[in-house]
Amino acid sequence: MEVSRIRALRGPNLWSRHTAIEAIVTCPEAERSLSANHPIEQRLRRIFPEVGPIEGSRSGQAPSMAHALEKVTLALQAQAGCPVTFSRTTATEEAGVYQVVVQYSEEAVGRLALELAEKLCQAAMKGHGFDLESALAQLHELDEDVRLGPSTGSIVDAAVARGVPFRRLTDGSLAQFGWGSQQRRIQAAEIDSTSAIAESIAQDKDLTKQLLHAAGVPVPLGRPAQTPDEAWAIALEVGLPVVVKPQDGNQGKGVTVNITERTAFDNAYATAVRYGTVMVEKFLPGHDYRLLVVGNKLIAAARREPPLVVGDGKHTVRQLVDLVNADPRRGTGHSTSLTKIRFDDIAIGRLHAQDLEPESVPEKGRRVILRNNANLSTGGSATDVTDDVHPEVAARVIEAAQMVGLDICGVDVVCESVLRPLEEQNGGIVEVNAAPGLRMHISPSYGKGRDVGNAVIDQMFPNGATGRIPVIAVTGTNGKTTTVRLTAHLLKAKGLRVGMTNTDGVYVNGRQTDSGDCSGPRSARNVLMHPDVDAAVFETARGGLLREGLAFDRCNVAIVTNMGGGDHLGLNYITTLEDLSVLKRVIVLNVEQSGMAVLNAADPAVASMAPHCPGDVTFFALDANQPVLATHRAQGKRVVFTEDGHIVAQKGKQVLRIPLAQVPLTRQGQIGFQTENVMAAIGAAWAVGVPWDAIAQGVATFISDIQGVPGRFNVFDYRGATLIADYGHNPDAIQALVQAVDNMPAKKRMVVISGAGDRRDQDIRDQTKILGQAFDEVLLYQDACQRGREDGEVIALLREGLQGAARTTYVQDIQGEFNAIDTALSRLSAGDLCLILIDQVEEALAYITEKVKASGV
Amino acid sequence: MNAKNIQFLRMTHLRGPNIWTYRPVMEALIDIGALEDFPSNTLPGFNQRLTAWLPGLIEHRCSVGERGGFLQRLEEGTWAGHVLEHVALELQTQAGMQTGFGKAREAGPRGIYKVVIRTRHEAVSRSALETARDLILAAIEDRPFDVKAEINRLKQMVDSLCIGPSTASIVDAASERSIPAIRLNDGNLVQLGHGAQQRRIWTAETDRTSAIAEGISKDKDLTKQLLSMCGVPVPQGQIVDSPAAAWEAAQDIGLPVCVKPTDGNHARGVSLELSKQEDIEAAYDIALAEGSEVIVESFILGEEHRLLVVGDHVAAANKGETASVVGDGVHTVSELIELQINSDPRRGEEEDFPLDTIRLDEHTTSVLELKRQGLTAESVPEAGRSVLIMRTGNMALDVTDEVHPDVAAQAVLAARVVGLDIAGVDLVAQDISQPLAAQGGAIVEVNAGPGLLMHLKPAVGQPRPVGQAIANHLFKPADTGRIPVVGLIGDGDTTRPATLVSWLLHLKGLYTGLACADGLFMNQRRLQSHGGMDWENAQRLLINRSVQAAVFESDARHLLAEGLPYDRCQVGVVTRMPKAQGLDDLYAGSDEKMPGYVRTQIDVILSHGTAVLNAADDQVADLARHCDGSVIFYADDEKNPRLVAHLAEGGRVAFWRDGQLVLSEGSRESLVLSNKRPAVSRLLQDGRLGTDDMLIAACVAWALDISTDLIRAGVKSFGQHTSH
Repeated sequence: MEVSRIRALRGPNLWSRHTAIEAIVTCPEAERSLSANHPIEQRLRRIFPEVGPIEGSRSGQAPSMAHALEKVTLALQAQAGCPVTFSRTTATEEAGVYQVVVQYSEEAVGRLALELAEKLCQAAMKGHGFDLESALAQLHELDEDVRLGPSTGSIVDAAVARGVPFRRLTDGSLAQFGWGSQQRRIQAAEIDSTSAIAESIAQDKDLTKQLLHAAGVPVPLGRPAQTPDEAWAIALEVGLPVVVKPQDGNQGKGVTVNITERTAFDNAYATAVRYGTVMVEKFLPGHDYRLLVVGNKLIAAARREPPLVVGDGKHTVRQLVDLVNADPRRGTGHSTSLTKIRFDDIAIGRLHAQDLEPESVPEKGRRVILRNNANLSTGGSATDVTDDVHPEVAARVIEAAQMVGLDICGVDVVCESVLRPLEEQNGGIVEVNAAPGLRMHISPSYGKGRDVGNAVIDQMFPNGATGRIPVIAVTGTNGKTTTVRLTAHLLKAKGLRVGMTNTDGVYVNGRQTDSGDCSGPRSARNVLMHPDVDAAVFETARGGLLREGLAFDRCNVAIVTNMGGGDHLGLNYITTLEDLSVLKRVIVLNVEQSGMAVLNAADPAVASMAPHCPGDVTFFALDANQPVLATHRAQGKRVVFTEDGHIVAQKGKQVLRIPLAQVPLTRQGQIGFQTENVMAAIGAAWAVGVPWDAIAQGVATFISDIQGVPGRFNVFDYRGATLIADYGHNPDAIQALVQAVDNMPAKKRMVVISGAGDRRDQDIRDQTKILGQAFDEVLLYQDACQRGREDGEVIALLREGLQGAARTTYVQDIQGEFNAIDTALSRLSAGDLCLILIDQVEEALAYITEKVKASGV
Repeated sequence: MNAKNIQFLRMTHLRGPNIWTYRPVMEALIDIGALEDFPSNTLPGFNQRLTAWLPGLIEHRCSVGERGGFLQRLEEGTWAGHVLEHVALELQTQAGMQTGFGKAREAGPRGIYKVVIRTRHEAVSRSALETARDLILAAIEDRPFDVKAEINRLKQMVDSLCIGPSTASIVDAASERSIPAIRLNDGNLVQLGHGAQQRRIWTAETDRTSAIAEGISKDKDLTKQLLSMCGVPVPQGQIVDSPAAAWEAAQDIGLPVCVKPTDGNHARGVSLELSKQEDIEAAYDIALAEGSEVIVESFILGEEHRLLVVGDHVAAANKGETASVVGDGVHTVSELIELQINSDPRRGEEEDFPLDTIRLDEHTTSVLELKRQGLTAESVPEAGRSVLIMRTGNMALDVTDEVHPDVAAQAVLAARVVGLDIAGVDLVAQDISQPLAAQGGAIVEVNAGPGLLMHLKPAVGQPRPVGQAIANHLFKPADTGRIPVVGLIGDGDTTRPATLVSWLLHLKGLYTGLACADGLFMNQRRLQSHGGMDWENAQRLLINRSVQAAVFESDARHLLAEGLPYDRCQVGVVTRMPKAQGLDDLYAGSDEKMPGYVRTQIDVILSHGTAVLNAADDQVADLARHCDGSVIFYADDEKNPRLVAHLAEGGRVAFWRDGQLVLSEGSRESLVLSNKRPAVSRLLQDGRLGTDDMLIAACVAWALDISTDLIRAGVKSFGQHTSH
């Protein structure tokens, strides 16, 4: 068994909606049929009994080692605690070559699982041992390491549940919710509107107290001191007992509470001063509470207790701690609701303060505190008291958060009980925390967990907003780029700032931000990141879809322009038109439930995608009588077609018309494929609610020149001859061009063509076969880039296609694209027509533009 | 006392508008003793010594009203209190605390004066007054006095105690727009606006500056990654973990490169335009010393620029200076630096010099820069050879007007991508007046909390009003960040109307603060029952971010001793003229002086505000002429002549007629209340409210556009605290 070409599919993909690892696995003959009692199968089971049944791709078909690898990869992740369920193995056309796909929740964990699974399978095949426990531990540890912590995780879970798109920006806890201009960011329990100033204020306890005091919130009086004597004077002034702590501390480091006399006070001062300036405050009697404010609401409250044990008159303190730590609910990390009590120097120091030693046996019922602070991470506990909080207490706590200016705020309250107003019981607010830990509220040690994540998402996305912007995905064999550009143009007419990706680059609000072929998921993700994008239109090419999956979880509109006879067949295990349809329909499968697929009714491969769309379907076709379209129309569903020189959009009784004469791209409707592109774009704009007037105006102002749509039916006038430059490069595109050109009058018809070497022989021959029927003269050229073909090979294929051509009377071979253009221009007279099928789009267009310009002078 | 002495009896910081001026002042009560018999012209050599020590006194116009005015008064003979005022002001000016206003007045008893100087910081002014006294006595006694040392000491106090110049530029710009400011800590945390309308700034950060964005901006690699995703040009780079890896990365990226810390500050540890292996490896260590990780980046050709983005525009742009020297074949590089660079008078060690002096031992990058050119500090470059010393120096040259709109758009986008509302965007370009793409320019860094000084005081070029840009970013054009503030003063009769006004505002749905003799209240909740009129307590209402309206009762004692706790008010009320009796300790003087003090309450009324005055008290009614806004007169009696006259002039008046409280303007009258209604008559009978209280509160409510229905309901429900 050999594993090659491992890919991470980071979005919805050919196989499923899940993120997944995909690998090509080659198995020799002997590993292709594992029966249930095959020795390898049995050894495998011995190593990893939890793997579950290993089955073939179809029932009755024996599984291969590739299938075993698939199941082991999945089961390893599941056993390590990852929430994964999907996996699949598919045989390719090549015997013994399989595509194995296994879901992951964390890419790094998925990759490691595949690696370990391969080792496990090899061990099973060779009869070697395998340390399953250490493999699972390794996976578990990696998962703990890379996945989001519980605070961020709870917010992300709430976002995902609401349908807010989510993306991590770093390996840490920085994440983005929503897209484009609707995006927001979080980092742990902090959101992008959390003010840096507020955070600094919260860090400065003295300033915080002063501000809270100004707001009329009860706070323990006190202030920072520079010397122990000054500190003691303050203690006497505010009244004993007091608290001594560092002014800018965190995690309760260096804090001593309930100090009543000078010796303890001086010790406390010495401890605190190690962390900076020392603060003396009146000690408030009662329990520690943490109240969580999000926006202007109190979301959760917990009573916190320091780690402690209760004496039973029999066990030593050390034994009591061990007994408490034996509780299976106590874990070691941040993931459980209780953590083991640490029995370290700090704990022993605390024991000494209570006149105890680790080996002392405390009397029955005596509470022995092992640490001063109540943090869960050091063994403290949290009890939910949200429902107990008196409205006056809640009001003070919210005022405190607002005064400091924190939109997510953990407020530390000390009082006997939150059931009564603070003022009645000498309670007060002792601290205000930015980026508070959420664990004690999400999964408190005792009591009810609170949906904090949802409260944070509500704060960021009020009124049920999801942070989504309209996303339109466009795929098909031909016409994608024109459709993308026109659709973006129509959305702009609605006043939206549009982000667009296509094979020419990335454009945001009319400005090009990247160049080259940008029809993959990386460019689309960049557009969804851009803060100035209100709507996005993505050309979705097969390459990126195969490599990485989609850049988005769902789209509002999926347009499939056409499939025709397909293009690029034979690459990447996409061999048939059906394979290609399954791939391209991924965007249709991932349309929102409230979304729309805009499909070409006249193309059977496209029309058949309709049942796969979770949302509605708009069909378009030139011919109103096209049966699929006519049926859809009769059902009162959305259709776009042409009739009596108009583009007609209809839904039941709602009929909207635009005269083709007012759509320059179609040249009065003469260019059929452009009319189809326009209908598709109209269907998409209609689906996202662009007003009809804006649509009509948009299609009227869209010009297919080399600025608007370079390389797509750009028409020039050269000394009275008509010159058309197009990037057509497959039989369907050429057929469409021929039809369009046929409608244009001409004395002599000439075509300039090269073939792209990465197409099948048949596809190359077919191109000239079509041209031979329609053109008088054919100029064949080849350029430097032959895409893997021998010199002259492509030209030979093109010539083969011209054998027995009905119309062509002149054929010439030329070396170089510019030479071919020069030759064509020299052979043209006024009234002739010349179609130039360009290859190097930008350079060729620049060259033609220059020639045309020179001829005009 | 017969010695020539000046004695401070008391120094009082009047922290709000006061009997002298709108602004905080330091008021010193002094006894000049025997000097009362010695005006300045009778003290031999005194005037000469004084003007020699403080030549700036010539700028003091004084009552003469022209340059040299104060010197003229000195020649004519003026008394020590007056001299103290001017000397203290001049010391403050020399120390960098600009304050114009001062006054010296006899306090009553012979030789006792009140000397008042405007202050921006209590401790500085206290010290300035004390130093002024010592200086004057030294001048009188012809003793030496180290003026320069004293000014330097005061200057240091100003530097450490007053808000910094960047923050001050914002505060001053806000003040120009009548936006109030309250300093919240000893540093640069300042609140602009009041209560719920306030915004906060901390140097060049605002309360909308996102903590997450700040974190992102500190992570240069993440910043670059995010910018690049959004199509903003950035240099290519790699994080490296060893000198060898730095060299390898440099070859990958393409030479030349720069090497710098990922999380460093300013230009520390940054080395530019490196092509040689040994330079790159050395630069790794320099960078590592300043940060936790090191990044190797493609070197972008051109000069460094700093663009200050405020909101959605570039408010200012500066270009980095490049310092070079030209060899003469005689001097070493070190010497040339002294001769050609550090000799520039704009260069100095201290902060207020626009340019830094260059010392090679402090600028390790300069040493590398020299090494790159095959030189050391001791080399003697041949005559005419230009030697580049430094390019990561100050962003000293203003180029705001040259920035190409496309470059500005990229900088603004960069700030937005990071998420900062105010950002210093560092970019490298050969020509800032051309788009970045064509020249291969790039944005190299986005900084939170950018320094403003370089734009306020560029070494070369025009200063830019960046404080104004930030103030305008925080407050929309017509917004002054103010909440309705009502101030009342009288003769012990203002607590009940203040409480009633606060109740009416509360019923209008506003979270209302009340500071009065009964204590301090927030939203009808009593926080404390004492000290409600004390400046410090009362000011809490304006700091509280929940407060949407505030009502302040004051009295003559608080006004004289502390000033008002707010700078301006929407409605100012004077009910009766207080008496001077009992204010002897404040040297209030006689009753005739009182209107001069109490007018402060009317002086602080905003131009769109309202004075509510008792027409039946002539001294009170006369204050109307000091009001910038409009006036509502009230009196029990409809026939009060002032009422009649004011009404005839189109003014607003309020009175009782046949047991009806009437608000009248022109021909329109509203009947607000009848004292026959049981709820009203019960209040009057119980003595919980008087007829005047109702009149006053109705006038204030009227001035605040509270409907008569609500006034009526509010009076009737007074004392029934039904909600929080």
